[in-house]
Amino acid sequence: MPSLHLLRAGFLLLAGLVATDCLDIATLGRAATADAQPSAEAVVALPNKEGSLKFGVLGDFGTGASSQYQLADQMAKLYARFKYQIVVLVGDNLYGSERPQDFQKKFEIPYKPLLDAGVKFYACLGNHDAREQRYYKLFNMNGKLYYTFDPKPEVRFFILESTYPVPEQIQWVEQELKASSNDWKIVVFHHPLYSSGERHGSDLRLREVLEPLFLKYNVSVVLNGHDHFYERVKPQKGIQYFVVGSGGQLRAGNIDRQSGLTARGFDTDLAFMAAEITGDQMYFNAIARTGQTVDSGFLTRRKITR
Amino acid sequence: MSLRAHSVLLFVGLALITHTACNGHEKPAPPPPTSASPETAPPTERVVGPLSQADAQALSTMNDRLGEYIDLHIKLERSLPKLPKDATPQQIDKNQRAFEALVRNARATAKPGDIFTPEARPVIKRLLATVFGGADGQQLKASIMDENSAGITISVNGRYPDKVPLSSVPPQVLQTLPKLTEDMEYRFIGDRLILLDTHAHVVADFIDDALPK
Repeated sequence: MPSLHLLRAGFLLLAGLVATDCLDIATLGRAATADAQPSAEAVVALPNKEGSLKFGVLGDFGTGASSQYQLADQMAKLYARFKYQIVVLVGDNLYGSERPQDFQKKFEIPYKPLLDAGVKFYACLGNHDAREQRYYKLFNMNGKLYYTFDPKPEVRFFILESTYPVPEQIQWVEQELKASSNDWKIVVFHHPLYSSGERHGSDLRLREVLEPLFLKYNVSVVLNGHDHFYERVKPQKGIQYFVVGSGGQLRAGNIDRQSGLTARGFDTDLAFMAAEITGDQMYFNAIARTGQTVDSGFLTRRKITR
Repeated sequence: MSLRAHSVLLFVGLALITHTACNGHEKPAPPPPTSASPETAPPTERVVGPLSQADAQALSTMNDRLGEYIDLHIKLERSLPKLPKDATPQQIDKNQRAFEALVRNARATAKPGDIFTPEARPVIKRLLATVFGGADGQQLKASIMDENSAGITISVNGRYPDKVPLSSVPPQVLQTLPKLTEDMEYRFIGDRLILLDTHAHVVADFIDDALPK
């Protein structure tokens, strides 16, 4: 695998390809399509800059199967050269039983190298998760179904519970978004507002409620799961949506090629996302179980004036 | 407003519906919006009808039973040490099993129909049939059957089987069914609709054959 320096050099060469929009996405190589498979083309490097926010995104992972462990190994390998501080979990954290041994088998053992290194995991609940997970220390939910945290002063994550989007939660998130002066507002929840999943797809009712708030209050990025693949959705009204439900329970071939939503899709193997925020840019790499980078690029945060 | 208060308001609204009774030959007119679910309500808060006055009354009675259950739940929960916000899996499990024992002991004579009353059951089934009869019904059903186990034996007031995954319950279904407080959830095991006490991990009641074939 090329070193980060080489990848960065590749990025600099191709940086001129970046298009200008409310939210810029730079991707390298051929046009991104749902059926695009990982290629040998250069990827946009994560800058690995000192002082930046580095984080992982993982979803729909807690099966305890060997494939989950193999992807976890890739996460640990990446950590060796890219010290991400946090991992954001987009839900369906534990499939099946949730006894103490399941927390070990489906979470603590596969991600032990990261946990031992001090990487903090922040969870949201998926539709298969028991609500008691909110009390689990290593999910850092502090007993709450929805919450916020600021890993850096300029970045705030808003973690929602999308299985039961009760009015109190919707009011809460609006208040929180409104009150936030963070440059980066990133919203995390399980059910995607935009997805090309043939099994689930876009949650239109949730979109009707949440999207106006995201637009109004300057959200730049939304991270979801639920559909079991990786998809970078084409920017929707200036907001970048990622589906990262590819952490352990693959639904092979489930991306609808006709959806018109996909900027880049990967539904042939497990994958997680690594990202880095530095200044007004967020760089991202989607990395498969084989270690191959299957998507990469960067985007610029939204800046609206009210 | 607390979740419970919201739930109670919703059911007051449902009970107040004065929908003209249909005679089985005419297509029923759309129901008027309830006070808790006006047309201007966000999509996640709308309630699917139509509900006759008798249907609304049946659900209202069910809600009373649910309220009694939740009162018991709260009372029992107060007798337990509070779960810390940074609990270990062992603490979560121990707390849950202690709670389970309290609930099962307190409801030792519980039986099917105690909450999903005989009058409410056909209403719930009709509401679900409305949802699954829609254009995306097959997709919704597929979503529910994802990670859903059939042929599992369960009992009212029994522990939700440890090895049975929690099923998806699509938002369209949740919007249609009577609202619950945070202590309770709807889930499916096979085609059974389960009313699950999430904290105690106990099946409070269930309806067989709730999913239309």
